[in-house]
Amino acid sequence: MALDPVDVVIIGSGAGGGPMAFELSKAGFKVVLLEKGPHYQQQEFVHDEILNSRRNFFMPLPWDEPHLFRPGGKSKSGDEHPFKHTNDGWTANCVGGGTVHMSGYFYRLKPIDFRLRTELGAVKGANVADWPITYEDLEPFYEKAEFELGVSGNAVPHPMREPRKKNYPLPPLREHPMAQEVEKACKSLGWHAIPTARGILSQEHQGRAPCTYCTLCGSYGCEHGAKASTGAALIPRALKTGNLDLRPRCMAKEVTVDEKGRAKSVIYFDPDGKEQEQAAKYIVVSCTAIESARLLLMSKSNRFPNGLGNDSGQLGKNLLFSSFGESRAHFKVSKQKERWPWLETSREPFINRSCQDFYWMPDDKFGFRKGGTLGFMWTHPNPIFAGAGLAKRGKEGVFGKALKERMREYRDSRIMQFEIYGEFLPTDGTYVMLSDKAPTKEGKVVTDKYGLPVAAVTVTRHPTDLKMSKFLVERGEEVLANLQPDKVERIGESGETTILQGGTCRMGKDPATSFLDADCKSHVVKNLYVVDGSFMPSIGGIPVTLTIAANSFRVASRMVERLKKEGK
Amino acid sequence: MPRRSSSLKGLSRRVFVHRLAFMGGGVILLGSACTDEKKPSSKAPEPAKPGSQGAPPTTSHLTFTNEEFAVLSAAVDRILPRDEDPGALDANVHGYIDAALQAQQLRKMKEDFTGGLHALDRRCGRMHKVGFAQATPEQQDDVLKVAFKEAPESSGEYKWYDLLVTLTMEGFLGDPSYGGNKNKAGWKLMGFDLVGKEAGEVSPDYDGKQHLDHLRCGSGKGC
Ligand SMILES: Cc1cc2nc3c(=O)[nH]c(=O)nc-3n(C[C@H](O)[C@H](O)[C@H](O)COP(=O)(O)OP(=O)(O)OC[C@H]3O[C@@H](n4cnc5c(N)ncnc54)[C@H](O)[C@@H]3O)c2cc1C
Repeated sequence: MALDPVDVVIIGSGAGGGPMAFELSKAGFKVVLLEKGPHYQQQEFVHDEILNSRRNFFMPLPWDEPHLFRPGGKSKSGDEHPFKHTNDGWTANCVGGGTVHMSGYFYRLKPIDFRLRTELGAVKGANVADWPITYEDLEPFYEKAEFELGVSGNAVPHPMREPRKKNYPLPPLREHPMAQEVEKACKSLGWHAIPTARGILSQEHQGRAPCTYCTLCGSYGCEHGAKASTGAALIPRALKTGNLDLRPRCMAKEVTVDEKGRAKSVIYFDPDGKEQEQAAKYIVVSCTAIESARLLLMSKSNRFPNGLGNDSGQLGKNLLFSSFGESRAHFKVSKQKERWPWLETSREPFINRSCQDFYWMPDDKFGFRKGGTLGFMWTHPNPIFAGAGLAKRGKEGVFGKALKERMREYRDSRIMQFEIYGEFLPTDGTYVMLSDKAPTKEGKVVTDKYGLPVAAVTVTRHPTDLKMSKFLVERGEEVLANLQPDKVERIGESGETTILQGGTCRMGKDPATSFLDADCKSHVVKNLYVVDGSFMPSIGGIPVTLTIAANSFRVASRMVERLKKEGK
Repeated sequence: MPRRSSSLKGLSRRVFVHRLAFMGGGVILLGSACTDEKKPSSKAPEPAKPGSQGAPPTTSHLTFTNEEFAVLSAAVDRILPRDEDPGALDANVHGYIDAALQAQQLRKMKEDFTGGLHALDRRCGRMHKVGFAQATPEQQDDVLKVAFKEAPESSGEYKWYDLLVTLTMEGFLGDPSYGGNKNKAGWKLMGFDLVGKEAGEVSPDYDGKQHLDHLRCGSGKGC
C-alpha cells in the first residue's frame, strides 16, 4: 500500500536536494525528503579524526555499499580492464549530503562555460555541448544561493571575473599572512591571486553563528553551524514551515511509473529495512550524478525497460569529474622563521587565494584552451592522514627510526598546497552503468547491503585534459617556487577528483542527445526532475557545489510556478 | 585446523587504504575490495600454532589470542620504535588495535588483519627459523621490509602492510579516548598538540568508542 500522495518527493538532501526542499516547502507545498543517511545534530560533530574521517560517519564503507571503477579501453592482454571495488564516487551519507563535510570553496562558473561547444568548436573524441541556459539565466540564483547558504568573500576585479550584480553577502574570512605572499608571488609572475570565496560564515547570518577559525574544517561537520551546508542553512528553516517531512535513513530503490508513463511513487527501505512506497505528484532526484543515474537505471518498467525516462539511451552517459592536480611547498619553520616569524606564530587556517589566469587560453599553443582554477591552502592538519602519508608505501615507504624522523620533521614544517580544478572533457568512455551489466569473472553480480546492484563507473580521459592539468600544475609550482620553500613536492598532475561530479543526466534542447530539458525536467517523464550535478553538460574549471545549489534554486522557482498553475 | 586459515589467501577481502584528500579534505578511508584478485602468499605448509589445535586458544585480549597479540606488539614496535620520543608501545597502539577491531563495521578487516599476523609469523619462521615475536629487531625489520612492505602492490602482503601502518597511525595519532595515543604521545610528536588547542579540544569525558558503536548506516540493515 502506497503512503498517501504528497505534492513532491525529493530523494537526497545535499547541495541539490536541500534548496529544492527549502523553496518548495516555503511556497506551501507538501514535501517528503528521503535521505539514506542519518540526521546528525550539530553537537554530534566532534574533532575526532577516527570517527569523522576514517569510518562510516560520513561515507559508506566499500564492503557495505561499493562502487565499481575501471579505466576505459583495453589492457595489454586485449581484455577490458576489471572493475575494482572502491569508495570513490561517494560524497556523503547523511542529511545535508556532501555539503556537511565539504571545505566550502565556492566559485561561480564563467559565461564561457555555458557555451563551451561554440567556443571550442568540435573536439575530436569529446562530446562537448553548449548548455541550454546562459550564465545570465543562472546569475540571479547564484546571488540567491550565496545569500541563503551564507558565502563570505570579496569579488575583486581580475581578467576572468564573471559578471555579478553584488559583492558576496558576507565579508571575507580572516586570513593567514601567507595569503599576501601568494598575492605577491602571483603578481611577480604577471598573474592574479584572487580571494577565494567560502561557504563559511565570517559573521552571524540568519541566526547562524560565525566561524571560530578552528583548523579542522574540510572532512568535518561544523559544530557551530557556520559552514554553508544545506543541513545547517536550509533544512532547519524548511522544517519550520511544517510542510517538510524529512525521512532520514530511508534508501530509495526505485521510482515507479503509472500507465501513462508519468512518475508515480518512490519505493524505499525505511529505517527498519521495510519496503515503503511514497506516491507524489512530482518526483525530484538528487542523489549525486553517480547515484541518481544508478537509481534511474534501476527504475525499470515495461514502458522504460532501460531505466526511467531513458528513451534516448543517454542516462548515465557523459559522466564528468573535475581534473585533478596538486603540489605542496614545505617550509621548515626553524629555518624560515627569521624571514617570516608568522610561520611559527600564526595558526590562521585560511589562505583563501586562487588563480584563474589559465581558465581560458587565447589559443591552443599549449595543447588545450579550456583550463581551470588553482586554489591555494594549507594541507589538512588531520594527524593520522598526515602520518600515513609520511610512511608512504613500497620502495619509498619507511618505518622505524626513519619514519619517526619524518614525523619530527613534519612537526617543524608548514605545508602549503595548491589543487587544480580543471575542465574534464566528456567522452563516450566515461559513464555509469549498473553492476548487473558487469558481472565478475565468476558470473557474480556485485550488490550492496540492500541487495541492490551498484554503480559501475568507467573512466576514459581525453588526452587534452592531461596536457591541461600538467600545464596548470607547472604554473602552480612556479608560484610555490617563488615563495622559496625548502621543498616543492608534486602530488599529482593527472587524475580526477571524484567527489566533484556531473553529467549523467545531461540537460539540452534535443531529446535525442540529452536526458533533461532546460528546466532539469525529463524530456520524457514530465513530472520527473533531477537537480544534483547530473544536469551539467560540462563541469567548468571550478568546484561545482555552489553551481549545483544555484541551479536547484533556479529549477525550484520554475517548479513553484508550474505547481501553482497545475494545483489550481 | 588452525583457528583461521592463516595464509594471506584469507585476504579474500582485499584491504587497502584509500585516500580522499581532495578539496582540502583529509581523509584516508579504510577500504576493502570484496572480490578483487587475491594473491596467495605461499604454498608452504602451515606450522601449527600453539593453542590453535585442540584446546581453544587462551587469550587475555579482546580480538587476538596471546600469541597473535605478541606478534602484533612486536610489529607495531618496529613501525614506531621508542627512541628519544615515545614509540607505539608507549602509546598503547597494540591495545588500540585489539580494541578497534571489535567494531562491528570492521568485522571483515578483523579477519584479514589477523590472517596477516599469522602470515607474518610464518614468514619469519621460514626466513629466520624463529617466530616473529621472538626474532631480533634486525630480523623483524628484514621480514617486514622484504616480504611485506616491498611485496608487489597487488599482493596480500603489500595490502596487509598498508593496513598495519594505517592502524598503527590510528592508534598513535587518534583521539586518546579509543585507548591509543596515550598521554597524547603521538600528537606531541607530530605537533598536533598545538593545532589541537586551536581546533577546540574535545571535551575530557568524550568517548569516541560510544559514538562508533552507535553508527548505523541506514535502513536498519546493519553496517
Ligand atoms: C571532503 C569533501 C570536501 C568537499 N569540498 C568541496 C568544496 O570545497 N567546494 C565544493 O564546491 N565542493 C566540495 N565538495 C563536493 C560537494 O560535497 C559536492 O559537490 C556536493 O555535495 C554534491 O551535491 P549533490 O546534491 O550532488 O550530492 P550530495 O550533497 O552528496 O547529496 C546527495 C545525497 O543523496 C543521498 N542519497 C544518495 N542516494 C540515495 C538514495 N538512493 N536514497 C536516498 N538518499 C540517497 C546521499 O546520502 C546524500 O546525502 C566536497 C566533498 C567532500 C566529500
